[in-house]
Amino acid sequence: MGNLIWKELINEWRSREIVTSMFIFGLTVTLIFALAFNVSPIMFRQFAPGLLWVVILFTSVLGLNRLFSYEREMDAHWSWISAPIDRGYVFISKVLVGFIFLSIAELFFIFPFFLFLNIDLSFSFLLLFITMILGNSAILSIGCLISGLALRADLREVLIPVLLFPIASPVIIAATKSTVFIFQDKPFGEWSIWILILLTFSLISVLLGYLLYDQIVED
Amino acid sequence: MPFFALQMNKTHFLLGILLSGINIFLILTIAPQNQLQADFGNIFYIHVPVAWTAFIGYLFVMIFSILFLWKKEQIWDHYALASAEAGTLFMFLVLLTGPIWAKPAWGHFWVWEPRLTTSLILFLIFLGYFMLREFGGNPEQVSRYAAVLGIIAFIDVPIIFLSVKLWLPELQSHPQVGQYFKNAGIMPTLMINYSLLSLLVIISFMIRFRVHILKRLEERNII
Repeated sequence: MGNLIWKELINEWRSREIVTSMFIFGLTVTLIFALAFNVSPIMFRQFAPGLLWVVILFTSVLGLNRLFSYEREMDAHWSWISAPIDRGYVFISKVLVGFIFLSIAELFFIFPFFLFLNIDLSFSFLLLFITMILGNSAILSIGCLISGLALRADLREVLIPVLLFPIASPVIIAATKSTVFIFQDKPFGEWSIWILILLTFSLISVLLGYLLYDQIVED
Repeated sequence: MPFFALQMNKTHFLLGILLSGINIFLILTIAPQNQLQADFGNIFYIHVPVAWTAFIGYLFVMIFSILFLWKKEQIWDHYALASAEAGTLFMFLVLLTGPIWAKPAWGHFWVWEPRLTTSLILFLIFLGYFMLREFGGNPEQVSRYAAVLGIIAFIDVPIIFLSVKLWLPELQSHPQVGQYFKNAGIMPTLMINYSLLSLLVIISFMIRFRVHILKRLEERNII
């Protein structure tokens, strides 16, 4: 599994296409939001958590489209899944790689997001970091499973968001709610249920992916 | 082959119309009304059993999908698709009857009530399911993809419901919903409607199943 992850990281290091496109896309969407919701900083603070997760979700879709593109081109998918390990691990390696790419892209666009939307930075960065880690893993785990389903579809670019958005709706609700409480500096005990929902969703998605990926890639 | 050329289709179609007629007759004549909700409240006799049957339809999508992945027999895939179609038809009726009731009861056609929201999300997931079936690629692979999606969709339901329920807690205490069930007199009509609508969903399922089988036979030039 380590080799599969390493291969993806090397590929990305050489081309830098996934992380760069995710970062620039995230930045552009942030700019569009800042222009479209031209309201006071107080109002932005109310909208910001939701906007942040919309940006992350859209960016993930872009990343998911590119994440499987090498396997799709020239039918390299078959050599990829012929790795001599359980196919469930092949799925997990893809989730981990997607997670790494999304997190790096977020690191670059999160600060411009705070800057453009005039967000007051007096909140716990650690809690936001934990929420983003869990949110990213939840989106990527279900996203990689859906990307696998749409791998050979003609309307792949349309199918991924059409399937991902409703299935991932609990993630967006939970992540947005957590971020609202973090921005309001509320004690963790008051909103820990949302973190629990994110964690449960991630675990169930990874488990489902691990169990069902073999069925998806079977010839 | 024309759809009504098959005697079984004709019988099921007529039975479906008859059951719907009985259902509407019972609601308009013998079903007791809620004093606070007057005429519009009686849509509950349709809305609640329809929601029940839609969820049962989706439960069967998951069961047939698991059986398809396990046994690898195409028949289970046809069962799963027919259940998804019947379930989605009934889910559409839930989304239609819910707002009709909500407008006079709550003042708005759409309220983010957990059950209604979960139904909408599930309906959207199954629209994606049909898109995947249509545009997913090679038909044999698509059957497997659809089976995986059918399982994910149903497992997602409790998480969707919980998150929507916690999302806006102030929306949970709509007394109008519970109010209706306090009247014991509604139970006979409601139970009859549950049975009639369950029969209707089974008939829809059987009709769609036969259509898929006929299509399959046609593809193989057997008929």
